[in-house]
Amino acid sequence: MSGLLRIALPKGRIMEDALRLFERLGSGIAPGDRDSRRLILPSADGRFEFLPVKNVDVPVYVESGVADAGVVGLDVLKESEPDVLHPLDLRFGGCRLVVAAPAGTPYPHLPGGVTPRVATKYVESARSFFAARGVQVDLIRISGSVEIAPLLGLSHWIVDLVQTGRTLEENGLVVLDEVTRSSARLIVNRASHKLRLEEHQRLIADLEGVLEGAVRSPDASTRTVSQS
Amino acid sequence: MQNSRLAHVPPGSQDLLSDDVRRRRRVQGAWFSLAEERGYEEVIPPTFEYEEVFTRGAGAELASRLIRFLDRDGRVVALRADFTSSIARMVATKLAAAPLPLRLCYAGKVYRQEPEGGGRRRESFQLGAELIGDESPGADVETLRLAIGFLRALGIREFQINLGDIRFILPLLAGLEPGAAERLRVAIDRKDRAALAEGTREFGAPAAVVRTLAELPELIGRGDMLLRARSLAPGPEAQEAIERLRAVDALLTAEEREHVVYDLGEIRGLGYYTGVQWEVFVAGVGRAVGFGGRYDHLLGLYGADRPAVGFALETDALAELLPQGEGR
Repeated sequence: MSGLLRIALPKGRIMEDALRLFERLGSGIAPGDRDSRRLILPSADGRFEFLPVKNVDVPVYVESGVADAGVVGLDVLKESEPDVLHPLDLRFGGCRLVVAAPAGTPYPHLPGGVTPRVATKYVESARSFFAARGVQVDLIRISGSVEIAPLLGLSHWIVDLVQTGRTLEENGLVVLDEVTRSSARLIVNRASHKLRLEEHQRLIADLEGVLEGAVRSPDASTRTVSQS
Repeated sequence: MQNSRLAHVPPGSQDLLSDDVRRRRRVQGAWFSLAEERGYEEVIPPTFEYEEVFTRGAGAELASRLIRFLDRDGRVVALRADFTSSIARMVATKLAAAPLPLRLCYAGKVYRQEPEGGGRRRESFQLGAELIGDESPGADVETLRLAIGFLRALGIREFQINLGDIRFILPLLAGLEPGAAERLRVAIDRKDRAALAEGTREFGAPAAVVRTLAELPELIGRGDMLLRARSLAPGPEAQEAIERLRAVDALLTAEEREHVVYDLGEIRGLGYYTGVQWEVFVAGVGRAVGFGGRYDHLLGLYGADRPAVGFALETDALAELLPQGEGR
């Protein structure tokens, strides 16, 4: 294998945070390339190339080896369980996967032994969460605007990601339980890690060094998770 | 009218034609000519066996992926999911009186359930070798050398063997309840430092174990890493693991050493491994194309305990790496 280490990034907020981190290694995207429509963006120092893709596709590109490494939320990893290495918690992109419902909805059991219907994008995470608690539910897979499902009577509860809690609040929903806490992770393809071991070890050490510095900077504290 | 249901094969199975067939034949041909030259004799185990052959030694993961059916008498049989398990049964029964060491090789299909959409086939070709009756580091090196020689014979230049010894890890997980041990095992396999730190805190592991587990994702490198790891070894069994890997390293040639990375977090592979174990990675394939290791107690399940070491390589992945037209 040769060429630059290719790093898959999830388009959106995590990608912005990840690029800020790489900038501090001196490996940001050249200003001219930032807004280009190129599919693969080289870093200004010629050390990496970045592959922006949809967040749920990051594990697919990394597991297959098309990308050597990637950055993605733990929530996405728990849902798809890709066969990749997870060497580093990058500590940004913090959010919580929670069970929520309109205020006053009973939990964890509905009156009369009714089996709760739960709408979610995170079917696998929700399945293992409720199974571990011995709560039988019917899961309904939907792909967006999960918070309106209980308002329209599609489900009793939802399982969804919460960053600030504002969307829940605006829809009159409250958090009933926490499924998991998530933050962005560095993931690495298993074969690439062995074939380009020194490059990966250096990347991990460099990112760790920047993160250790970030803990003390005021910049990091503004990005902590606000509670719902 | 054409029956469109019959026009397809089930997901994960496939037809092989022309160049696909030639490439596989070339890989298998190169394999048997090298293996026979080094004294390995071909065996052909059955295509299906009683399922216990695959469930007793290989562990829960393989057991969950067997393709099973009921035999005429109601017993459960499974399609061959692993050559080593079948050959261990064969040697411990049919070849129990044969002089040791035994050198056996094979090539053929294995059948394993795979989830749809993962891009994996449910039937795939493997080839491999088993060296039975020799417990020395020299036997480990003989099988490593055979795998390295074979990859070179195929013209593959960029490849790495990731070599560990499960005895370094086992003392770290000893005494934990099964759920906790499994969580740490997954964290070790993923080099997931966040999960290792969280797990050891939660399970109240002793300080020495916490320190070694925290370092484990870093205990990967060339021979000099083994010296560093020696001070972290949790007890005599783990010390033996380090000494075995150092003995293997001493027996390899400089050229072979370039293809070997020592990784004390190497715990992939089937449940029957008892000592050194390894994965093979080649440039251009995103996952391991081979597994090997020592399984000193697998034959004992059939009443003929013998030390053994062997490996299997994914024929399909190697065939696809051959340059265009190389199949001819």
